[in-house]
Amino acid sequence: MSVAAHETVLEMRAIDKAFSRVPALSGASFSARGGEVHALMGANGAGKSTMMNILGGVHQPDGGVIEIDGRPIAQASPRDARANGIGFVHQELNMLPSMTVAENVLIDEMPTRNGLVDKTRMRETTAALLVRLGCTFSPDDTVETLGMGDRQMVEIARALAGDPRILIFDEPTSSLSAREKRRLFAVIGKLREEGTAVIYITHFLDEIFAVCDRVTVMRDGRTVGSRAVGEVTSGEIVTMMLGDIHEADRLRVAAPAVGETVLEVRGLTRAGVLDRVDLRIAAGEIVGLWGLLGSGRTELLRSLVGLDPLDGGTIALRGAGVTPEALHRDVGFVTEDRRGEGLLLQQSVTRNISFANLDKVRGPLGTIDTRKERAFASGFVERLKIKLASLGQPVRTLSGGNQQKVVFARWLGTQPRLFFLDEPTRGLDVAAKTEILRLTVELAEAGAAVLIVSSELEELMRVCDRYLVIRRGRIVGERAATASREELLADIADTRPEAAA
Amino acid sequence: MTSDAGKFLRHYGFAVVLVLLFVGFSLAADHFARPSNIIAMLHTMAPVIVMSCGMALVVLAGKLDISIGSVAFLSCTFGVLLMDAGLPPVIAFAATILAGAFLGALNGFIVVVLGINPLIATLGTMIALRGVALQLTNAILIPLPESVRTLGNLTIGPIYADILVATAILAAMHVLHRRTVFGRQVNAIGNGEEIAARIGIPVSRVVFLSFVLSGTLAAIGGLMSMVQVGAISSYLGKGMEFTAVAVVVVGGISLFGGRGNIGAGVFLGALTFTMIENGLNQLSANPYLYRLVTGAIIFVAMYADALKSGQLGRRRRPIPLTEIPDAAPEPSRQAR
Repeated sequence: MSVAAHETVLEMRAIDKAFSRVPALSGASFSARGGEVHALMGANGAGKSTMMNILGGVHQPDGGVIEIDGRPIAQASPRDARANGIGFVHQELNMLPSMTVAENVLIDEMPTRNGLVDKTRMRETTAALLVRLGCTFSPDDTVETLGMGDRQMVEIARALAGDPRILIFDEPTSSLSAREKRRLFAVIGKLREEGTAVIYITHFLDEIFAVCDRVTVMRDGRTVGSRAVGEVTSGEIVTMMLGDIHEADRLRVAAPAVGETVLEVRGLTRAGVLDRVDLRIAAGEIVGLWGLLGSGRTELLRSLVGLDPLDGGTIALRGAGVTPEALHRDVGFVTEDRRGEGLLLQQSVTRNISFANLDKVRGPLGTIDTRKERAFASGFVERLKIKLASLGQPVRTLSGGNQQKVVFARWLGTQPRLFFLDEPTRGLDVAAKTEILRLTVELAEAGAAVLIVSSELEELMRVCDRYLVIRRGRIVGERAATASREELLADIADTRPEAAA
Repeated sequence: MTSDAGKFLRHYGFAVVLVLLFVGFSLAADHFARPSNIIAMLHTMAPVIVMSCGMALVVLAGKLDISIGSVAFLSCTFGVLLMDAGLPPVIAFAATILAGAFLGALNGFIVVVLGINPLIATLGTMIALRGVALQLTNAILIPLPESVRTLGNLTIGPIYADILVATAILAAMHVLHRRTVFGRQVNAIGNGEEIAARIGIPVSRVVFLSFVLSGTLAAIGGLMSMVQVGAISSYLGKGMEFTAVAVVVVGGISLFGGRGNIGAGVFLGALTFTMIENGLNQLSANPYLYRLVTGAIIFVAMYADALKSGQLGRRRRPIPLTEIPDAAPEPSRQAR
């Protein structure tokens, strides 16, 4: 047991950081003690990754102090952080698949003798680390032959090779099976005993109660609070994460579903991500998919349209079975990632709108009739009240809210009867948010079925006709539009693995 | 096919094909398997091996250098002009090799500092450098001094000297890749440049150095080839870049980067093409047939590479609509 156990090893104070003048952290703080597992939580965009990337040397802070053992440190790169005794186990594993375990573990500081790599020492060092982690595979195994859990261990071994006093785990369980998770928790417990300060980023409340001693919650770039795990309930953590929720006016009266069933999903499964998901949405209905980040809410939408693979289940569109790829053609899919979903930022508003609807703007010779194209686009610009100087303006120069409306315009042109909206208002200002929500209501009133995901409960509460509660890849319950804020928060704060609401 | 046989073929299939080719040509052409012909083949292979070693290194880093033929031509031109000006051949040779390193550094600069795609960057230098060299030589044949020309047929025992040089370089490059930190870093970058950067590998420096090495080896290979011919002609190094890529790919070094063995790969790759060319020659086959066969071999090698690197078949099959795993879902988990 280390002498330094339970002494404060790390202090981060008043950390500021902005990316292209958008603040990500403002005056955030964090501290860690040796021999303690410290959870860092926060909703999407709360700033926890930025905070840890600063600690790991990936980003440099604009202001604030980082102290290790009371001495301020400055670091310009992950390499510096390593030298300062900070190890980082990234969420996306940085594996070199064609190389051996030993090479992967020691890649950034290979032992050499006479200028040549010292294979024997490399193997011995790695073997010792693997024993410490309780791994049974050999240092000579090629990484591509290992499963995800073993690769995770290789990543941890690499972090341990630098002999860190502070070890950051960024959502380490996101791709692990239950058994691999238990092994990881055992390893974390062992590191704690050895006196390491472990920082554990996660979205899963149950993991906090399983492995962590303290929890710090961040929101909007600030540190909300820090508590001992024994003295806090999961409900309190959720409230800290999401903040006070003001009940805003509903944008429409919730209506029970009366239309025909548009989408019916049964037994949708993706190993480790989605677990036998059943759902049904009717025409004219707005259904909120309510869960924390990492609950499977985004993964469900992505799997439904074939962007992620599926292991089983059936999808029926208006009663007829379809493949995810076929469903994709009939779904308007709007996400927070406006660029990723195919806005051509350099191109004009007109072209972006007509892009998915070129068959509607063709002239007699099959070429594109630019006059028709402009008329087609300007119709949507008026209908959605997109604010722009001219139709020929590049989409890049529009505000975020107007860019999002262009995405909607493109989908509206194809007249889908089903919409998946994944955090459609993320990064927009309050007025633009309301406009997007109004648009959502309009879609439903015109008879479309809408499945919407949002981290902001108040937003869902303004438009949803009912809620599906998703946790750990399962739909664990359903709530009517009349559900209160407290009930909905309690649903996602529940850490019982198989409880039904 | 049983899985054992499949495994055997995947690992040794290439060697089996080579052995079959050798046996086939030996039976069909009397002279093919004679020691003198085998040594002649190795002699032909020597410059190819040297240049392919540089290409192999760049390819292992996940890049491509198609300027090596032009780099060879321009560096050699430089060396020949120095000899013409009366400098001793040793100094001219050293200058040639330095010029190769410099031109490699130019490629490295364009790729690393200017951030241009390696294929496009080296396509540019391939065209431009050959242009400069043609200008300098007026595209005419310049014979080498007598003292240098004899080097081309210099033998040590029964073996040509350049075979020994090529062997030494091949061994050195193999050790560089397999046993040095630099080599591991090259391999790591080939596995994924972003990943390597995140781990903290100095990606820019390593890529730059691999282009410098590629340029250097191109110049050395060019020298060997020029000395064999006894003169510098405007054809020097022409098409060499594609031969080298073909050698590397057939030698099992993945064009996706990070996978392959320089020693065995480059040797067997070069041997394949030399053997086929030599064998078809001995059989007095239609000279155009060689190109067809070469193309087919490259295609098969690329396909095998794609299979091995898992680029094919990575797309999952669409799920069957009727199958629900674990029998039926639990009845009505949703609270109504």
